[in-house]
Amino acid sequence: MSWQIEALKKSVWVFHVNTGACNNCDIEIVNLLTPKFDVERFGIKLVGSPRHADALLVTGAVTAQAAPRLREVYRQTPKPCVVFCIGACACGTGIFETGYHIVGPVDKIIKEIDPDAIIAYVPGCPPKPEAMISGIVKALSAI
Amino acid sequence: MGAVLEGKGKEMSTPLNILFWIVVVPGTIVLGLVASWIARKVSALVQWRVGPPLLQPLYDVMKLMGKEILVPQEAQRTVFMMAPLVGLAGVLLLSIMLWRITVAQTAFVGDIIVAIYLMVLPSLALILGSSASASPHAAVGTSREMKLVMGYELPLVLAFIVVVIKTGGRLNLAAIAQHTTVLSISGMLAFLVALLCVQAKLGFVPFDIAESETEVASGIIIEYSGALLAGWKLMQTTMLVALPLFLVMVFLGGFGTTGWALAAGIGKYVLVLVLIILIKNTNPRVRIDQAMKFFWVYCGIALVVAIILAAIGSSCGINWL
Amino acid sequence: MDQQELNAKLSEIKDKLIGIEQKADNRISLLCEAENSYAVNKFLFEDVPLRFVIATGLDSDDCFEVIYHYSYDQTGCCINLKAFIRDRENPAIESIAPFLPGAEWIEREIHDILGIDFKNHPDMRRLILADTWPEGVYPLRKDAKMPAERPDGEPSSRPMVQSQSPARRTVQLSKPVVPVGPFHPLQEEMEFFQLAVDGEIVTDIDMRISYNHRGIEKISESLQFDQVPFLVSRVCGICSASHPTAYVNAVEEIVGVTPPERAQYVRVIINELERIHSHLLWVGLAGHFIGYDTVFMWAWKYREPVLDLLEEITGNRNNYGNVKVGGCREDIPNELVPKMLKELDKIEKKTEMLTKAVLDDPVLHARLKGVGILSKEDAIRYAVTGPTARGSGVAIDVRADDPYAAYADLDWKVISQPEGDVFAKAVVRLLEVLEALKMTKEALKKLPDGPIAVEVKEVPPGEAVGRAEAPRGETFHYVRSDGGNRPVRHKIRAPSFVNVPSFRASCIGQTISDVTITLAAVDPCYSCTERLAVVDSHNNLIHDYEALLRLSREKTAKLKKEIGAPEWKMEDF
Repeated sequence: MSWQIEALKKSVWVFHVNTGACNNCDIEIVNLLTPKFDVERFGIKLVGSPRHADALLVTGAVTAQAAPRLREVYRQTPKPCVVFCIGACACGTGIFETGYHIVGPVDKIIKEIDPDAIIAYVPGCPPKPEAMISGIVKALSAI
Repeated sequence: MGAVLEGKGKEMSTPLNILFWIVVVPGTIVLGLVASWIARKVSALVQWRVGPPLLQPLYDVMKLMGKEILVPQEAQRTVFMMAPLVGLAGVLLLSIMLWRITVAQTAFVGDIIVAIYLMVLPSLALILGSSASASPHAAVGTSREMKLVMGYELPLVLAFIVVVIKTGGRLNLAAIAQHTTVLSISGMLAFLVALLCVQAKLGFVPFDIAESETEVASGIIIEYSGALLAGWKLMQTTMLVALPLFLVMVFLGGFGTTGWALAAGIGKYVLVLVLIILIKNTNPRVRIDQAMKFFWVYCGIALVVAIILAAIGSSCGINWL
Repeated sequence: MDQQELNAKLSEIKDKLIGIEQKADNRISLLCEAENSYAVNKFLFEDVPLRFVIATGLDSDDCFEVIYHYSYDQTGCCINLKAFIRDRENPAIESIAPFLPGAEWIEREIHDILGIDFKNHPDMRRLILADTWPEGVYPLRKDAKMPAERPDGEPSSRPMVQSQSPARRTVQLSKPVVPVGPFHPLQEEMEFFQLAVDGEIVTDIDMRISYNHRGIEKISESLQFDQVPFLVSRVCGICSASHPTAYVNAVEEIVGVTPPERAQYVRVIINELERIHSHLLWVGLAGHFIGYDTVFMWAWKYREPVLDLLEEITGNRNNYGNVKVGGCREDIPNELVPKMLKELDKIEKKTEMLTKAVLDDPVLHARLKGVGILSKEDAIRYAVTGPTARGSGVAIDVRADDPYAAYADLDWKVISQPEGDVFAKAVVRLLEVLEALKMTKEALKKLPDGPIAVEVKEVPPGEAVGRAEAPRGETFHYVRSDGGNRPVRHKIRAPSFVNVPSFRASCIGQTISDVTITLAAVDPCYSCTERLAVVDSHNNLIHDYEALLRLSREKTAKLKKEIGAPEWKMEDF
């Protein structure tokens, strides 16, 4: 499995999934993918279909309505893949922990269908684009 | 195919033969990856960005090879899985054919027709593959791609006919390559049309209607993943070798194998590549109906003019027409 | 009509009320029984007339209350109509949606969270709770038992709640399909907005929300009063200054305290800076939708200095956490002011250039004028606020109508345009950015000395409404306290809640190439706009979001060619 992971680190195509976020993280992700930060340098590219994705950028604390979609998107992403939990909500539900409509956080939902999933956490509320790049690069080199 | 390739012409000694096969097939693929990198790097620089490292296209392909292949449940399995291989095979065969004509001088009468057939294979494969994927997203792209193919295939063939007329009606690539048909009015017209048809075939801006670089979701290969997607990517990158090379042989006087001719050949290939990349970076994407109008009307008119001029020039011996 | 005349007018329905409370000059509460609520509401909305804001449902131990909130914008008066539903077993009340489409969604929401039946509601489907949420569990009831099992289920077990009045909807909601197979967004979730078309024209639209429902109002009841601002600033990331401002306005009214002047000015500065970068974000997205990518890159580029300023003042680019009950947490150091003024000057110059270019560009005129018109009547019936209203000739603005913070001290004007099309709304937003820049600079220059907060130890029993003008419109909070240290009920109404339903009025009759920009004109949250799809009557996907985006951009390109205007380059700005 190792050469696949090595190649994965150099060419990461990302797909963005919003599971009920306040949009701050999502806006910072869009910021990330504008030419200013030039993530193509790292082999990162935004794709519009999970089937082309190597990494899922997941925001939000996972509401009950969004959970089935998150599971489906993960299933449709060819393995090996990395799930990045972007922001405090995705990492651990953050301030919405006691919400009755919240079934997350993201790793709980993902681990139910794939206990061996590779999950990385980029905390912040929201994490700045530089923090996201740093988080992604660090996570990739640690895999 | 082997028999055809070994047809008339200079026999290569066996060690050279083996060397050819070992070097050319992977070499073409590698050259395609490098050409693809050049295109991406230039795009990045134009946007004041740094862009990807040299090995990025290789990393992309390797990464894809290591991923799962997900096949949609309702898809036509066999066609779905064979389509990228068919496309890639077509391009590789075309490259091999062109290299052998250059190196081993194995041209034969009618080889230009075979080359045109092989050139159509990638587009057909894309259409087949996306139809087989049973995806509504892909379906939208498929119909666009089909329209686009209907748009440019005819002008492309007509452009080659111009050259055939100019070079005295011989359907032999080696013979055609002796002439530099671009240095004439009809030749220049035909070359420009053919260049734009190649741009469309490569799926580059301004004709990236069916699959755009940043919006892959609306692309016709949306359902593909893993090694199959790698196949498509390799097909696209290898086309960056085969198609410009084809143009060089038909319009720009061919590719030599030794000394000055070799350097000139490389220069001509680079020139065509640069033209393709320039067109890509200085134009916005056009709509499908605009593209159709462009190919059928403007290119059609240009080619009719070119054919008439070529016919006159050929029969009256006026080369610059 | 001034306040006295208003009071006189309200007493015309005295016979249907059981009480009138007037806490302050511009805060009135009318009390009535549930049976009379329809007649009183009709009177308030049509005869006075008042602007409908939102309704709050709450569980009051011995009865249910539905509080209808209205606003009389000429005097900034907030009028609450409290309707008491005495029957706890089968709570029911007459729906006001037949004459007030703007109340449709909130009645569905109250039904979801409290189980109150709204009789004669045109479309009582589930709104904010997930499809898999069990029937009969009403989260905001005091005795609510949350489901023992996690309510998200597997897709195949997801029940679809069908409309109870099938004649109403022409877009039938799809039955659940087991989602294996190609990546088809309709098979795995219903799109946020589903449009039905006849050829190229939109004939109907259906909207499903719930993806973002985090149960914030309930969480608020478990937090202390001073913890709530942190929660509500995350309701929406880009209105994250306005929500705490509205909330503390309400709580400060209950406590009876006025924050010090300096705090008022700091609140203005933060809110206006947020307005600037939110509107610039909108400009960028709108540019992207119609294919003006230069505008997109420009807008995102010039947002950055504003975000940097906010980071310097508050410590974060978003989610500032600066507003608290009684004042502000962080002060703006006086040494920082000259630097801020310089930055704002730069941004002002660039914005003026862009505004001029937008107002002069013939292609933009052709592309956006007459597109997505929301008529003034519809704007009132759907109770919209913010630039969506002001771009349709309804010149309401909380900062002017019911001033809070330091807005009454500053020299500024309300921007409004009468046409109601997308162009008008774009103009309103751009001009508001310029006004906001002016206001921020003025506030910085006039920043008074003094403390930054007063200490608030206790919140006595009481209730109040608090509002603020967010970039998208009026943010409205209703807070009720019983003397403890947590809110008993906290109703949060974000402006998009009333603006987004108006999309139905502005979208039907448009061509599909105009759908994305019409939706953008309402300025919903960013993620909402991606969930857009056109389906046929069998729920087959005709166009997804990508296709609609492409159609929109192609239309612009075609217009550009016909009109022959030059291309916009980054260097020009």
